[in-house]
Amino acid sequence: MNEFHQYIEAAIADAKSEAEASRSATVEAHHLLLAIAAQEGTTGQQVLASVGLDRAALRDALQREFEHSLEAVGVHPAEYALPASRGKPGKPPRFGPSASVRLAFTRGMGHGDRNPQPVQLLIGILEAEVGTVPRALALAGVDRTELRRRALEALEGGGPAPNGSRSKMHGSTRP
Amino acid sequence: MKPMKVPSGLDPADALAAVGALRQLADQLEDAAVEQAMRSGWTWPQIAEALGVTRQAVHKKHAKRLIAAGVHLRRR
Repeated sequence: MNEFHQYIEAAIADAKSEAEASRSATVEAHHLLLAIAAQEGTTGQQVLASVGLDRAALRDALQREFEHSLEAVGVHPAEYALPASRGKPGKPPRFGPSASVRLAFTRGMGHGDRNPQPVQLLIGILEAEVGTVPRALALAGVDRTELRRRALEALEGGGPAPNGSRSKMHGSTRP
Repeated sequence: MKPMKVPSGLDPADALAAVGALRQLADQLEDAAVEQAMRSGWTWPQIAEALGVTRQAVHKKHAKRLIAAGVHLRRR
């Protein structure tokens, strides 16, 4: 098994755990994004870190997106005071894989050459223009297009794009 | 039942995202409601009937989690 397959296998396993912990019935692209952010030392993790996105920041962004989406139709999740996840659901999520994950792989594998690189998975996720990930990034004040550009640069250059700063590109909108 | 209308002024992206978020919220609410019912002494057939699903389906979906949470499970 080569480095790319090992990375994908680890990312998928981690994404499954994320999905399970959030009681999601399926593994979605945003679970994979959380997994990428947790793979310390990888190019994908470094590209995300270059704009201040670690796993905790992504979790915050995703939670904001969830609440924002519900509030748009007049539902305020805080009123339900649902218990926090215990990470032990009865039914593990299927990895069969969801439409958002399939699209991320298809888009990501459209880059690079015959030797796929782990960062292509991040590129594929960032190429989604609609859905949970772009909405969460926008709410967190992250320029997705610029983040994708950095990931593409890292793919071409074999490492994360240098930037000298960990600040977000559009300033912070997080509370 | 009247046909549902998307509230005026609601962006399509927001309306579509709300659908996914409502499904996720419904799943979380189901977990909490089933646990509360079990702790209150409801049986699997009662919970299944209230949810409009089969007893097997509700048991398969929730039993493992409830056992892990230390809930005493009544007979199926």
